Amino acid sequence: MDRKRNGYFVPLIFLLILFCLSACAPAGTSTRADVDGKLKAVATTTFVGDVVSRVGGEHISLTVLLPYGANPHSFQPSPQDVAAVNRSDVIFANGVGLEVFLEDLIENAGGDAEVVHVSEGIDLRSFPSQTDDGHDHEEGEDKAHDDAAEQENGGSDDHDHDPGEADPHVWFDPTNVMVWVDNIQETLTRIDPANEDRYQENAQTYRAQLEDLDSWIRDQVTQIPEDNRYIVTDHTVFGYFAEEYGFQQVGAVIPSPTTEAQPSGKHLAELSDTIREYAVKAIFVGKDFDPSLSQRIAEDTGVKLVQLYFGSLTEDDGPAGTYIEFMRYNVKTIVEALR
Amino acid sequence: MKWLEFLVEPFRYPFMLRGLIASVLTGIVSATVGTYVVLRGMAFFGSALAHSILPGVAVGYLLTGGAKGPLFWWGTGTAIAAAFGIGAISKGAEVKEDTAISIIFSGMFALGIAIISTVQSYTVDLTHFLFGDVLGVSSQQVWLIAGFGILIVFLVLAFYKEFLVLTFDPVLATTLRIPKTFFEYLQLVLIALTIAVSLQTVGVALMVAMLVTPAASAYLLTRRLPVMMALGAAMASVSGLVGLYLSYYLNVASGPAIVLTATAFFGLSWGIRSLRGRAARLE
Repeated sequence: MDRKRNGYFVPLIFLLILFCLSACAPAGTSTRADVDGKLKAVATTTFVGDVVSRVGGEHISLTVLLPYGANPHSFQPSPQDVAAVNRSDVIFANGVGLEVFLEDLIENAGGDAEVVHVSEGIDLRSFPSQTDDGHDHEEGEDKAHDDAAEQENGGSDDHDHDPGEADPHVWFDPTNVMVWVDNIQETLTRIDPANEDRYQENAQTYRAQLEDLDSWIRDQVTQIPEDNRYIVTDHTVFGYFAEEYGFQQVGAVIPSPTTEAQPSGKHLAELSDTIREYAVKAIFVGKDFDPSLSQRIAEDTGVKLVQLYFGSLTEDDGPAGTYIEFMRYNVKTIVEALR
Repeated sequence: MKWLEFLVEPFRYPFMLRGLIASVLTGIVSATVGTYVVLRGMAFFGSALAHSILPGVAVGYLLTGGAKGPLFWWGTGTAIAAAFGIGAISKGAEVKEDTAISIIFSGMFALGIAIISTVQSYTVDLTHFLFGDVLGVSSQQVWLIAGFGILIVFLVLAFYKEFLVLTFDPVLATTLRIPKTFFEYLQLVLIALTIAVSLQTVGVALMVAMLVTPAASAYLLTRRLPVMMALGAAMASVSGLVGLYLSYYLNVASGPAIVLTATAFFGLSWGIRSLRGRAARLE
């Protein structure tokens, strides 16, 4: 009797599993209709995708691999992604070791797409440096923050750094994204010379918007007292931003450029001390990442926990639907938190 | 004086203190329940159960829109359901028990990963369930661990005789008219609860170490059940404490540090046992 009932139980479970699987099949990808021989481009992150679409406009057909909200450090491509890569003419990637999945993906997909790392030519920061930043600061306490940032920027010859150690979060600084625009424009023009003028025009318009964004950020930052310009995050994303706009990135909950790591007790203890020492006002965490560790540290040290967008744009109608909205949202939130 | 400082220093930080309480509590509970796991050869079942929690947590996450509180209950519910499921299948199916367990747990685990992979909006990634982090335990979670821990240990002690007979002498259990099926399933539920409660400290991947390693170390040193439980619980608690010191002073992640300390205790117990064996032979 018992045995017989269980005999039905097992197949039932399999049916249930199959049912669940079919119910949660992905609801379609971001592949757009590929019409009348347009240039087929693939972008990896939503940021690269946004900038490519600004420059390419309606003259290219664009597929963005990472879904909105996905964490680029832990993304795994789906079969549709492999197909999109296979069909594409050109792949735009952030580069600097961000897309861990990309090399395997391209190898698997085959096809003859050209891979363009849009960050090529940016002055890369090396990593890790948040603890160094902290010590630098202790030694040169009276140094004006803007000066410090300027010096670091001007004197940097980090090009020969091992790319594996470079900080991939270049998009937090609009002046880096201007380099992206140059690279994208150059690539599109080379592959599709017929539309050269359009690309040129689009790129110029967008570069002007990025310049506006840059001066808007500088203006916003002046609202933050200089003693408050310390940044603590869940993982170290604000290196470029801090350098450009005169902040100190004094610490991170996960002392690594990727979210795929676990901090030690020692590290969290030092971070708590740093937060108290610098009277840091807030811990900034990405919305695509489990905040519980950061939350505990924030509670223990009595500072605010503030959510920002880090690794991805939001859907078009969200608060960070485009790169420029993304930066405006983050900067506004940072200014509010630190003011 | 210097030593005292060395010992007290890490626990000036509230998160270290919470981590210590959480890991000592889960250590005691896991080792107590784990004694039966070791004695009855259910280590694989425990490992499977820990992995089976994933789809429950993923579904709970989708339905509650990412609230963290309810996830514990989803995990606990799934663990209990999976315990019943695995129990029923390993009794009824026409395949060997370990085969049945493998099929269910890898299927459940795959289902969990499949569900997580479809979450495309701005999400909190669920990988921390795989690895856990005792340093991220909130005081609310500490209370939850304490509450369930007391319940679990109470049940183990209350039905001490029944579990004892069931483990060592199933024939006697039948003669004594102990409701065998009831207690077998109760035991599975206790294991499931222990896993759900301890998940935060070391996560799915290392959970079975908490359940098995201290109890197995104790098993090497004694054959008396109460002593085995107490010794296992003591070694698990000390592993939690020493593991956190290692995490603090050697700068390594806390979960692996705790598990490695427990593993070292096992090696030590092994050494003591073989020394004892040699001494016995020499006499």
